[in-house]
Amino acid sequence: MKILVAIKQVPDRDSPVRIDATGKGIDESDLQYALNEPDAYALEEALQLKEKHGGEVIALSAGPENVGPTIREALAKGADRAIHILCDDLASRDALSVARLLAEAAKQEAPDLLLTGLQSEDLGQGQTGVIVAELLGLPHATLILHVEKTDSGIEVKRELEEGWFQTIQLPTPAVLTIQSGGNKLRYATLMGIKRSKMKEVKQLTTDSLVPAAPPVAVLEQLTLPAKKKSTQMLTGTPQQAAAALVEKLRTEAHVL
Amino acid sequence: MTFLLPTLAEPQHFSLAEKLLFAALVLTSAYLFWRRFAVVLDKILKSKKDASFHLFPLANRIRDFVSEVLFQSKVIRQRPAAGIAHACVFWAFCAFVVVTLNHCASVFGFPFLDPAGPIGRLYFWFAAVFALACAAGIAALFIRRFFLRPKWLGPKLSWESGFIALLIFTLMATYLAAFFTAASSPSTRVLWWLHTLSLFIFLPIIPHTKHLHLLLSPFTVFLSRGSFSQIPPLAGDEDFGLVAGADLTQLVSLQAYSCVECGRCTEHCPAASTGKLLNPKEIILGVRAYLNDLGPASDQPLLGKYNSQQAVFQCTTCGACEFQCPVGIEHLPILVGLRRGAVNTGSWEDDHGSKLFLALERGSNALGINPAERDKFIEREHLPIFDGTQEYCLWLGCMGSYDPKGREIVADLARILNYLGTSYGVLRKEKCTGDPVRRLGNDLLFQQLAESNLEALAQNKVKKIVAICPHCVRTIQEDWKEYGTPPAVEHHSEFLARHANRLPHASSPSSDSNNKDRVPLVPLLGPGKEKIVFHDPCYLGRYRNVYNEPRTVAALAGELVEAPRNHNRSFCCGAGGGLSFLGEETGIRVSQIRAAELASTGAETIATACPFCNSMFRDALASTAEPAPQLLDIAQLIARALPPANLPTR
Repeated sequence: MKILVAIKQVPDRDSPVRIDATGKGIDESDLQYALNEPDAYALEEALQLKEKHGGEVIALSAGPENVGPTIREALAKGADRAIHILCDDLASRDALSVARLLAEAAKQEAPDLLLTGLQSEDLGQGQTGVIVAELLGLPHATLILHVEKTDSGIEVKRELEEGWFQTIQLPTPAVLTIQSGGNKLRYATLMGIKRSKMKEVKQLTTDSLVPAAPPVAVLEQLTLPAKKKSTQMLTGTPQQAAAALVEKLRTEAHVL
Repeated sequence: MTFLLPTLAEPQHFSLAEKLLFAALVLTSAYLFWRRFAVVLDKILKSKKDASFHLFPLANRIRDFVSEVLFQSKVIRQRPAAGIAHACVFWAFCAFVVVTLNHCASVFGFPFLDPAGPIGRLYFWFAAVFALACAAGIAALFIRRFFLRPKWLGPKLSWESGFIALLIFTLMATYLAAFFTAASSPSTRVLWWLHTLSLFIFLPIIPHTKHLHLLLSPFTVFLSRGSFSQIPPLAGDEDFGLVAGADLTQLVSLQAYSCVECGRCTEHCPAASTGKLLNPKEIILGVRAYLNDLGPASDQPLLGKYNSQQAVFQCTTCGACEFQCPVGIEHLPILVGLRRGAVNTGSWEDDHGSKLFLALERGSNALGINPAERDKFIEREHLPIFDGTQEYCLWLGCMGSYDPKGREIVADLARILNYLGTSYGVLRKEKCTGDPVRRLGNDLLFQQLAESNLEALAQNKVKKIVAICPHCVRTIQEDWKEYGTPPAVEHHSEFLARHANRLPHASSPSSDSNNKDRVPLVPLLGPGKEKIVFHDPCYLGRYRNVYNEPRTVAALAGELVEAPRNHNRSFCCGAGGGLSFLGEETGIRVSQIRAAELASTGAETIATACPFCNSMFRDALASTAEPAPQLLDIAQLIARALPPANLPTR
């Protein structure tokens, strides 16, 4: 099975996130980077499928030069080779634009499966994977915890709300977006890192894949979520206060 | 005087037949000896060279050789009775080298010692004293092994040891008896031949049994790595630790063949004595069995048939095994080496271990907590930030940054530093020193953490570090050396002991009049009444040789009592070697054994000097029903006497 895993480098969870002077990006001076966690689970699922059924795992990532270490990490954990789409303006691209790059690169490989995390930890749009599937005209499923190979294609376990799961069958090739937590992640090893240096990283330019096009969605401004702790006092008789509370829980908090 | 003493009787003439028989015996014995010894030697010499081995400087090697081999210091110190018996045998063997050479030479008519001459008479008498001691010693050891049967010698009786004991006893008895026969008497000849026979039966047995230690252990001791628990750097791109036979170095192979199977390592191993699979003696014998079966060039894995991966990961790296090994085996580089082989190649799969590694791949601390929590703690405690002007960098460590009890210790130490007027600051950002991953064998992570910390310390121009955690201290000072030059670092016990005369103490009139400098601020719990037992942390004691400093500090607060196992014989708390992150132990918890032992002293207070020990005992004491003694770090013992509000004066 040939599996392509689209991965993204995101700011490390422990890094301090500050908005830069333009107000449209984050200050990268004190930032450390890591592999997007859902993508790490997508990679893990791909590696386990390969270990069970053989084949090849290819890591695919778009981003500037400094995405290198994240690609290296994927290779160290067991991907066979990698494709790096050199793209300095990744942060200003919308999901459609990034998906176009990934889809074009994926076409050249024609994999049996394309896996990616269900969303990125930095932007969290959850769009890229499904747009890639649409661009490629492939069946897709989201929020996948587990993939099983069948005679005709694949069977996937999909997470629903409130502890419910759905099992569905798909033909291959297919695109899946992977939910965190389906597997136990493996740790990076010294041998993996050393071996990764001998693995191929093919570099592609954005121009060679997709002609430049104006973005569909434009980022206006970034703001940090405001910390608000607003306490409302419900007044009136206990009966009135209780009724008001139920109303608020139903219409504002949506917990009833 | 000399004429009153009997003279050693030797046969005067040997017939040709006797000479031929003797020659045949020598050749057969030497052949049988060499046939096996050559194999062992070949396996050792064909092992991989130790890339980091340096023979020089020789001074320490000579010192250890004299102390441990010639004076048998480790043999005797750890087991005095059996040790002295063994030393008697050893010294007699040394004395008998000359006797035996003369014995062999005399057959062919070239004796160089005349039993009647002044030198010969003196030497034979000298040797006789040792022979007497040796005969008594070997008899005592025989009784111990076959009748007293200490459990660490294993459940199986070793008949080969019994036979060897008999041979040694015969060698000595025949020598001694010859003082009471006449040279011309036939019994002299019988004794002589009995002695000869014993000798030439003994020789080939040596390389076939654990008595190989007679020949190898002097070299093992002399050639050891020289410092305690020294983990050698990986050599080259294809070295991932001890994965297969091809990774066994000459030192490891020499050590494996030197093991005398005395079981001292197992006797004091916290894992082995609490029902775990790990038995350090069996680890060494497993390596030896591997070498015997497969040799040093094999690519078969070392873990599996010959040694258990599970056992290897039960080691707390307390070092009791290595510390007391009388034949110079360095267990920790081997145990950690096997772990490196498993972790660096990814063959170790453990949920807790992976969680720890992933936490340190992506985060800064072993506890996997958001570093913002450390910032909040620093702010709350008003800890000054290190800016290059202060004398000390107060290293918090993972426990001091995130563990509630560790934080209390840091806060109390900070109060003492403020009280003493010592300038200090904490780093804005700090990563785990890498201790748990170093001991678990994850070289990739360890290197990343060490390099990142070294860079941060250099940027901040840190010259001196003081830390509450002996694991941090050890890792910074010794293990980081592989990747740079760490700043000077000391444990807070060393710092506090140096300032002991300026610290508040339990006031007693006598000590006050003796020491005018000492100004007690607030009397502690009454004049020297509080009974305190100090627990030696492995990483402070055996690893750093610091025993007195924490006691000096604890003694300021009350009356010190000792646990049954103390100083370098201290028993581990169970946390080291990354084990505090690996989840529930199998068998009895090491911490419970030690906590019960400390509580049994009747002390009101258990004093610790390591936040990991503290955390282990906190849990262990909480699970005992009896009213448990209070548990305090040595810094807390002192800080109790300081005024509560003690903010930095700057």
